[in-house]
Amino acid sequence: MSAFLLTVALVLMAGIAAGLIRVAIGPTPSDRMMAAQLMGTSGIGVILLLAPVLAVPALIDVALIFSLLAAVAVTAFTRRRLTNDGD
Amino acid sequence: MNALLVIFDLLLTLTLLGLAVVTLTSREPRRAVILFIAFGLLLALVWARLRAPDLALAEAAIGAGLSGALMLAAARRASGRTTSPADSGDAEDAP
Amino acid sequence: MDPVQLLSGAFVLVGAFFFIAGTVGLIRLPDRFSRLHALTKADNVGLGFVVLGLMPLAPDFFYGVKLALVWLLVVIAGATGAHLIAKRALRGDGEDVV
Repeated sequence: MSAFLLTVALVLMAGIAAGLIRVAIGPTPSDRMMAAQLMGTSGIGVILLLAPVLAVPALIDVALIFSLLAAVAVTAFTRRRLTNDGD
Repeated sequence: MNALLVIFDLLLTLTLLGLAVVTLTSREPRRAVILFIAFGLLLALVWARLRAPDLALAEAAIGAGLSGALMLAAARRASGRTTSPADSGDAEDAP
Repeated sequence: MDPVQLLSGAFVLVGAFFFIAGTVGLIRLPDRFSRLHALTKADNVGLGFVVLGLMPLAPDFFYGVKLALVWLLVVIAGATGAHLIAKRALRGDGEDVV
């Protein structure tokens, strides 16, 4: 079972590496942000799969922090400038 | 099992290295910041792989989350200042 | 290999399939909104199936609760982010259309 979970984690890791292409070439910034969000979600999947493989149950707290900060990053990205701040 | 772990480590390290190179060689601030956020996520994965959940927590919270959000705000202001003729659409609806 | 492990492996495989489909869609689809659609599928359904597959392997009760909480937070973050990005892209305002 452990080898199977590690194989699935490897597949998700390959997905992260492929999503890097879209982050690098993405024509608009929102494309890059979407790819970064997908990389974050895949990273959560990898961490959840690694926790039983490496026998470190505390890794699920890392996944919790990942999922909390995904919302923060996207919200900070799409925040609109309210004032023209000076110039 | 061990061979799989080695392949996983190789893939993780190569992705991290490629991401670092792309981040450092990008010229536009927003692109560099988004790549930096992705780099922080992958670095947290590395710490998780090395069985250090506390370091992974700190890296994900501080490295990727907080400083990423702060640097996005800083990059937005910086790019608004240098390319002010380009985003005239934003300047129009400002009071 | 008891049936619980078999079922859990099947769920994890379905989740990995959705992740791959989302990544391929993110790279191959031509338009920004269709890419957003592929991304949210991978976020919600893929991670949902992975969490569902890992649920029987949880060592204790609270681990399972935390797994469900991770999925809930990702769904909330994915919905919020998709709405914000789509709204910004649709109106074409701000620095988004560089």
